[in-house]
Amino acid sequence: MAEEKVESNRTNAFVVSARKRTIQNVVKRAGESVLFAIASFVAVIVLFIFYFVARDAIPFFQIRGFTEFFTSSNWYPADDPGQFGALAIMYGSLMVTIGSAMIAVPMGVAAAICLSDILPFSIRQYAKPIIEMLAAIPSVAFGFFALVVLAPLMQDKGGPMLMWAWWILVSPFLLLAVIVVSDLLTAAIKDEKRRQQLHILLLIVFGLFSVLLLYKVGTVLYGVQILTGTNALNVSIILSFMALPTIVSVSEDALQAVGRDLREGSYALGATRAETIIKTVLPAASSGILAAVILGIMRALGETMVVWMASGNSSHIPEPWFNYLEAIRTLTATIAGDMGEADQVTGSARFHVLFAMGLLLLLISFISNLVSERIVIRQRKILSGQ
Amino acid sequence: MNIGTRKILDRSFTAVGIGSIIVMAIALMIVVVPIVSNGIGAVFFTGTIEHRKLLRDEFKRGNSENLDSEVASSERYRAKVYDMLTGFEAELETMAPEKKTQYKGKYSQVRTALQALLGPLPGDQMPMLTRFKYGQTRWEKAEEKLHDLLYESKWDNSNTEVMSREYFVSRAKSFEGTSLAPLFPYLSHNVEKMLLPEFTVYWGFITDSSVDSHFFGGIWPEIQGTFFLAMGAMLFAFPLGVVAAVYFTEYAKPGFLNSMLRSANSTLAGVPSIVFGMFGLAFFINTLKVSPSKSVIAGALTLAIMILPTIIRAAEEAILAVPKTYREASLSLGSTKWNTIATVILPAALPGILTGGVISLGRAAGETAPIIFTAAVSVGSAIGLADVLSSPTPALSWNIYNLASEHEAAAQIRHVQYGMVLALVSIVLLLNLSAIVLRARISKKLKG
Repeated sequence: MAEEKVESNRTNAFVVSARKRTIQNVVKRAGESVLFAIASFVAVIVLFIFYFVARDAIPFFQIRGFTEFFTSSNWYPADDPGQFGALAIMYGSLMVTIGSAMIAVPMGVAAAICLSDILPFSIRQYAKPIIEMLAAIPSVAFGFFALVVLAPLMQDKGGPMLMWAWWILVSPFLLLAVIVVSDLLTAAIKDEKRRQQLHILLLIVFGLFSVLLLYKVGTVLYGVQILTGTNALNVSIILSFMALPTIVSVSEDALQAVGRDLREGSYALGATRAETIIKTVLPAASSGILAAVILGIMRALGETMVVWMASGNSSHIPEPWFNYLEAIRTLTATIAGDMGEADQVTGSARFHVLFAMGLLLLLISFISNLVSERIVIRQRKILSGQ
Repeated sequence: MNIGTRKILDRSFTAVGIGSIIVMAIALMIVVVPIVSNGIGAVFFTGTIEHRKLLRDEFKRGNSENLDSEVASSERYRAKVYDMLTGFEAELETMAPEKKTQYKGKYSQVRTALQALLGPLPGDQMPMLTRFKYGQTRWEKAEEKLHDLLYESKWDNSNTEVMSREYFVSRAKSFEGTSLAPLFPYLSHNVEKMLLPEFTVYWGFITDSSVDSHFFGGIWPEIQGTFFLAMGAMLFAFPLGVVAAVYFTEYAKPGFLNSMLRSANSTLAGVPSIVFGMFGLAFFINTLKVSPSKSVIAGALTLAIMILPTIIRAAEEAILAVPKTYREASLSLGSTKWNTIATVILPAALPGILTGGVISLGRAAGETAPIIFTAAVSVGSAIGLADVLSSPTPALSWNIYNLASEHEAAAQIRHVQYGMVLALVSIVLLLNLSAIVLRARISKKLKG
C-alpha cells in the first residue's frame, strides 16, 4: 500500500497537466518566433538597403535617362544644366579593380597554397597573424600612407622604382622559364651526351637573351617620369594589399577542403609537391578559389578611402587606355566626394546620380556575392560526392 | 622533363609561396613603420620656448616662473634682431628710390620669414588666428623656417626638357653692404638661444582639444568620438548578432527560408562601405529622422548594420565549436533546450563570441565611409554623453582624411596627422591582438 502511494506521487510529479503543456508550447513558440524575428532582421535590412538606395536612384534615371550615364564621360554635375556622364568614372573603378586583382590574385593564391600545403604548422601560426593584421589596418590609414608616403615617392623616384620592381619581380620567373624551355626543347633528343651539350648551349643563349631583355626594359622603365604620384598604379598597389587577406583566407579554406586522399594519390603516382598542387589540388579547389577571387575583387571595388585620397580624382579615361600612371576617379570616391555638396540640393539630379552610382555598386556586389556563394556550395557538393 | 628540372620547379614553387608571404610581411612593415616612427613624434619631440608659451596661454599648464626667466633670456637675444630690423628700416628711408623699392620687397620677405620663426615682431598687430600668435613650437620645423630665412628659394626653368629644379640663394649675399647683412650670421648662430629647444613629452596630444583647427593641441575630441561611435555600434549589433547566431545554429531548420536568411547575411557582409553611408543618410536621417542632421546615433546605427554580419558569423562559429557532449550532458540532466543554451552553450562559447565582438569593434572604429554622411564633422570640441542623440562628432578616421586632404595647411601639420593615424592604428591593432591572444587561449583550453 505504502509503496504504491509513493509511486503515484512520483508519477504525479512528472505528469504535466494539459493546460500547463499548452502554456509551455505557447511560450516556446513565442520565444522561437522572437528569435526568428531577430534573425530575419538581417534580411529586412538588406531589403531596406536596396529599397532606400533605389528610391533615391530611380529619379535620376527618370530625369536624365540611361544613355548619358552609361555612355558619356562628361562629368560636370555642378554646371547648369549639369552633365552626368559616368563612363570615365566607371572605367576608373574597373581599372583599379583589375590592377589590384592582377597583383593580389597570384600573390594571394600562392600564399594560400603555401599556408595550406607547404609551411609546417609551427611557422603557419606566425604567418596567419600577419594576414590578420593586414586585414585589420583601417582603410583610411592605408589611404594616408598612399597619399603621404607612396605618392611623393612615386613622383620623385618613379622611374628607378619601376625598374627595380621589374628586375626583382621578373628576373626569377624569366630564369625559371629559360631552364624549363631549354629542357623541353632538348627532351626529344635520344643521345644523352649530345642532349646535355645542346641543353647547356640553349641555357647560355636563352640566358643571355633574357638578361638583354631585362636590361633593355629596365632602362626604358628607368626613364619613365611619373607626373603625379596620386595615380591608378598607386591605388592598385594599396588596394591589392587590402584585398589579399580575403583572397588568402577564402582560398585557403577551399584548398583545405580538398581531401588528403587526392593529394596522396598524386604523390603515389610519383608527382612532386608542385605537380600535385598544380595538377590535382588546384583543379579540385578551382571553384573555391574563384569565389575567393570574386570576394577579393569586391573588396577592391567597394573601397572608398584609399581611392578618394590617392587616385587623383580626375574624371577622364587615361591615354592610352591602359596607362596606370595617370590620375583617375572611381564610383566610390565620387559618391564620397560629391555627397557633401549635392546633399544641400536634395531632389536634384546631382543628388540622385550619386545614389544611381550606389545602386550600381550594390547590384554588382549582390550579384557577385550570389555567384561566389553558389560556387562554394557547388564545390562542397562535388567534393563530398567524391 | 628531366628530374633535375622538376626538382628546380618544385623548389621555386615553394619559394614563390613563401616569397608572397614575405612580401605581405614586408608590406605590413612598410605601412606600419613610417606611421609608428612619425606618429610617436606627435608626443615626443624637441619643443621650443614657443611650445611652452602656448601651453601656458592656452591650457594654463607649466611652471610660470621658470618660463618667465626663460622668456627673458630669449628676449635678450631677440632684442638684437629687432634692433637690426629698425636700423635697416631707417636706412631704407635714406636710400635712392629705385634701390629702395628693390630692397623693400626683399625686406618684407625677411620679415614674413622671421614672423614664422619667432612669432609676431614688436610693433605688429596681434594676429587673430592662434597659428600666427606663436613662433615655431617644434624644433625641426624651426630649422626649416630658419633655412627659409637664410636662403631664398628659386626655380630653375632654363631646361624645358626636364622638370624645373629648385635652388637656393643666400639672403646674406643679397643684403651685402646694408646694415641688415649681419642679421643672417647672427640668427644662424643664436637661434637656439632665441628658441631654447628642449626634449618635450607632450601627453596632452592625447588628452587636449585642438587649438586653431589642429595647428596646436591634441586629438581628444576625435578619440572620444571614435569611442562613442564604435561602442554605440556594438551596443546595437552585439546583442542582435548573438541572438541571431543562436537562432541560426540551434533553431533554424534547413530549407528555403533558412538559405534565404543566410544569403541575406552574406550579401550584407559584401555591401560596399560607402553604400552603408548612403543608406544611413537616406534611411536614418532623411526617413526615420533619428536626428535633424548628422549625429552620433545615426552613425552608430549605420556602423552597427555594417558589423552585424561579422558578429553573427563569429558567434555562429563559436557556438558550433562547443563540443556536442556539453549539450548532451545538459539535456540528459533534464534541462530544457532554452536552459541548455542559456546556461551551458552560451557560457562555453562566450570567449569565441567576444573575440568576434572585439574584432568588429576594431572594424567599427576604423571605418570611415559609413560615417562621412551620417556622423562625422571635421572640426568640433568633445561632446558630452547627452549630446550623442543630436550632435555630430569629430572622429579619428574621418579627421585623418580631412587633415591630410582638405586642411588648408595639410603639409604643415603632418605630425598631427601621423599622430592621429598612429592612435587609430594602435587602437585597432591592440583590439585585434587581444582577440588573437584570446583565441589562442580558447584553442588551448578546448584541446585540454
